[in-house]
Amino acid sequence: MELEKFSYDNKIVRNFAFATMLWGVVGMLVGLLIATQLFAPELNFSIPFLTFGRIRPLHTNAVIFAFVGNAIFMGIYYSLPRLLKTPMYSKLLSAIHFWGWQLIIVAAAITLPLGITTSKEYAELEWPIDIAITLVWVVFGINMIGTILKRRESHIYVAIWFYIATWVTVAVLHIVNSFEIPVTFLKSYSLYAGVQDALVQWWYGHNAVAFFLTTPYLGLMYYYLPKAANRPVYSYRLSILHFWTLIFIYIWAGPHHLLYSALPDWAQSLGTVFSVMLIAPSWGGMINGLLTLRGAWDRVRQDPILKFMVVAVTAYGMATFEGPTLSLKNVNAIAHFTDWIIAHVHVGALGWNGFLTFGILYWLIPKLWRTNLYSVKMANVHFWIGFLGIVFYALSMWFSGITQSLMWKQFNDLGTLQYPNFLETVLQIVPMYIIRATGGTLYLTGVVLMIYNLVKTIKQGSFLAEETAEAPALHPFKDPFKKGTRHRWLEGKPVYFTIASLIVILIGGIVEFVPTFLIKSNIPTIASVKPYTPLELQGRDIYIREACNSCHSQLVRPFRSETERYGEYSKAGEYVYDHPFLWGSKRTGPDLHRVGGKYPNSWHYLHMENPRSMSPGSLMPPYPWLLENDLNTSTTAAKINALRKIGVPYPEGYEDIANDELVKQADAIALDLQKNGIPAEPQKEIIALIAYLQRLGTDIKVNNQTAQK
Amino acid sequence: MKNMLNSFSIKVLFAALSLSGYLFAAGEADYPENYYDKVAIFLVAVIILAFLALAYFEGRQKPAAEKKKSVLWEKIKQYLTRSTPIEKENEILLVDHNYDGIRELDNRIPPWFSGLFYVTILFSVWYMIYYHVVDAGPLQEQEYAEEVRIAEIKKAELVKSGALINEETVTLLTDVADLNEGKEIFTKNCVACHAADGGGLVGPNLTDDYWIHGGGIKNVFKVIKYGVTNKGMLAWQNQLNPKQMQAVASYVISLHGTKPANPKAPEGDIWKE
Repeated sequence: MELEKFSYDNKIVRNFAFATMLWGVVGMLVGLLIATQLFAPELNFSIPFLTFGRIRPLHTNAVIFAFVGNAIFMGIYYSLPRLLKTPMYSKLLSAIHFWGWQLIIVAAAITLPLGITTSKEYAELEWPIDIAITLVWVVFGINMIGTILKRRESHIYVAIWFYIATWVTVAVLHIVNSFEIPVTFLKSYSLYAGVQDALVQWWYGHNAVAFFLTTPYLGLMYYYLPKAANRPVYSYRLSILHFWTLIFIYIWAGPHHLLYSALPDWAQSLGTVFSVMLIAPSWGGMINGLLTLRGAWDRVRQDPILKFMVVAVTAYGMATFEGPTLSLKNVNAIAHFTDWIIAHVHVGALGWNGFLTFGILYWLIPKLWRTNLYSVKMANVHFWIGFLGIVFYALSMWFSGITQSLMWKQFNDLGTLQYPNFLETVLQIVPMYIIRATGGTLYLTGVVLMIYNLVKTIKQGSFLAEETAEAPALHPFKDPFKKGTRHRWLEGKPVYFTIASLIVILIGGIVEFVPTFLIKSNIPTIASVKPYTPLELQGRDIYIREACNSCHSQLVRPFRSETERYGEYSKAGEYVYDHPFLWGSKRTGPDLHRVGGKYPNSWHYLHMENPRSMSPGSLMPPYPWLLENDLNTSTTAAKINALRKIGVPYPEGYEDIANDELVKQADAIALDLQKNGIPAEPQKEIIALIAYLQRLGTDIKVNNQTAQK
Repeated sequence: MKNMLNSFSIKVLFAALSLSGYLFAAGEADYPENYYDKVAIFLVAVIILAFLALAYFEGRQKPAAEKKKSVLWEKIKQYLTRSTPIEKENEILLVDHNYDGIRELDNRIPPWFSGLFYVTILFSVWYMIYYHVVDAGPLQEQEYAEEVRIAEIKKAELVKSGALINEETVTLLTDVADLNEGKEIFTKNCVACHAADGGGLVGPNLTDDYWIHGGGIKNVFKVIKYGVTNKGMLAWQNQLNPKQMQAVASYVISLHGTKPANPKAPEGDIWKE
């Protein structure tokens, strides 16, 4: 048996590890800032770039794609070569991958505060960045698959199954959800409209959770947990079963984000049942992780690394039980649009992703620097502080979500709403916001401790850039393709494996999309629904720029408590010209789908200038710049043209007169404001926003037509 | 898990959480303004106590003597997990699986796990059939229609019994307590446009003899209830209940003839009862 010599590249692992720590702190700091703004809105300092709506996507993108993303690559670039006994396929591709990804993050950090956004959650980055993401992802894929093809190990281990599924699915998700028509260099409209856009977005959004926050981390768990515990994996059979069922079922679950909405009932029900069926496949990962620790529990008491991993896997189990629970219609009726969802995602993010990352870092950094951890005690302190932070966070948000929802739904003896003023329900939960921010502060403190501890570790060690290893060359093997060993055979055929996982994940998406896209009857048309006027369109883009949909939904659900508060519940046909859809996923403020005509123009003007002048105690930040900025009308024609291309029926040549129409409508609004003693100028951005708000949800009132089934 | 999360602290946490169910006062009638500040303090206290308990038991040395294991429990556990004991795991170690030193056992799929999976699959099949094949369960629009139907019946009863005041049945209140309640509502909701003394700002002067939409309790009640949105007056029917609208309308009428600091010029027509 001839041994071949080669070496592993630790530099790329180190780079990704540093990036993980840096972006982790940045992402969590931004999170803490927006958490604080929820009880102290003046902390936007009246600067557009620091206002909640604009930096909330910065927080989510930084934590998901920068912190977790870099941690995934760190974990893969260390474990993949060692599991396959071969260096990474190409150092150049590794470098392009690393620097490309960091550049994308920097681009996100610049564009999002500037209000450059597609408004689709976790896919807010605009089209040029979308293309860059695709290219970097392809580079990563070539590098990974190249490494697998050059392997010296005949079969691929379960961690690599999860890496492959991650790569394949994220590619599909990102491309399908990013179909958009460019208007200018940094502005585009989603190709899909209304209900279809919502369906595609939440198919993507939910599977970002599935294939960016779950499958790669399960892969990391399958490598680092047995390594840290020095125990064999509990059940090979179980890993086969839960891998395939997990990736097959997860894809279907997206519509559970749209229960009691304008989405057709059958699609909602599919979302519910596939979420319920997800419990077992998810728990398969949890029990395989926890039971791998059998015989090592005494070490869990001493070893902070194992503690982090145990809590991470347990938090994963909790979150994946809570998710299906939230997908039941009657639970979702309470939880949707509330802080309960925020609690749910943070058990996953802080517990599962965060704690597993910390465990891996504590294990990996001493390995790379060939030394021991600087202080085990400090790592233990980090564990307990972080754990306490998670408990504070989750409990306060569960409480706040359920409380607020019950208040929204409460009727009194006279059959009217007990809390008709939305603000009352907000002011009750402010103490919970304070506890949540405290929890976040604790968690972040733990992270800072960790970084200090790891820097000290690095200082006392010496870095090994090229780790030499040796292994025999890949020898051709013959797995019989017969019952019982078929999967073993597939593990020796990574290309087939990749194709098989692609087919498995495509099934659910196709079954849900195709009917919704092909059958007209899924979207009953409403004759009175018309495209937006040029001014309203510009106003809508301001609404998107300021990300009003971070706090305001545009979806009245079919409950009496909502129709009493807001008006007629939302119909699918009302959204046919909404590129992108703006249903939102959280009500920090009231729903706006029926706000049109509810308040006078002057109320909106004063409210945007200072929300507290109209709603004392409001948590909404002031938007004074909308009163000062002139509306950019140079884009109007391009916007009309782009929308016409994707099916909005603007007549030919309308783009030439669009701006005249815009000025007419703006003048009328400004005149009305002036009549009410407000010195408004027609060319300001606020006028366009008012025009859009006054239009919202009014189309079906035109002649009270109901949707034709 | 036994060592990790001491069962006693779990019990403490559970007891506290089940108690905390009583803290949701949202379903009650109005409750004190700072109610949730107290709830928040309570929550923080519970978390810290549970945490201290956890840390205390974590730090305690394990008793040397192992507790007696119940034979029956062991049997049940074995039945549910079918797991191979650690002592015998070499029998199920997969010999040709070795990935960077990671070995794999081939424990059986736990029966409780398969059971859970089958139950969720059966539930899903039943769910789809129930709602979409035999159409036995109400879909969202039917649920909503039913909700509205029940509310309408209740409303009809209330109107009959006279408990529900509307613009036809509303009467002027003159009681000091009622007018004070009206004043409170006025201060909270109306002063932004009508000034604190009713002299008018964006909205018209409410103290003079002139009314744009007619004076008198019925007209004033109506304007408050339905609003005049194009002029800037909001519809309050979803914000205030009928009793509150009656109180504030009566208070507005009681302002007639008072001398506001900066009265707005008269608008509308003179109103004579």
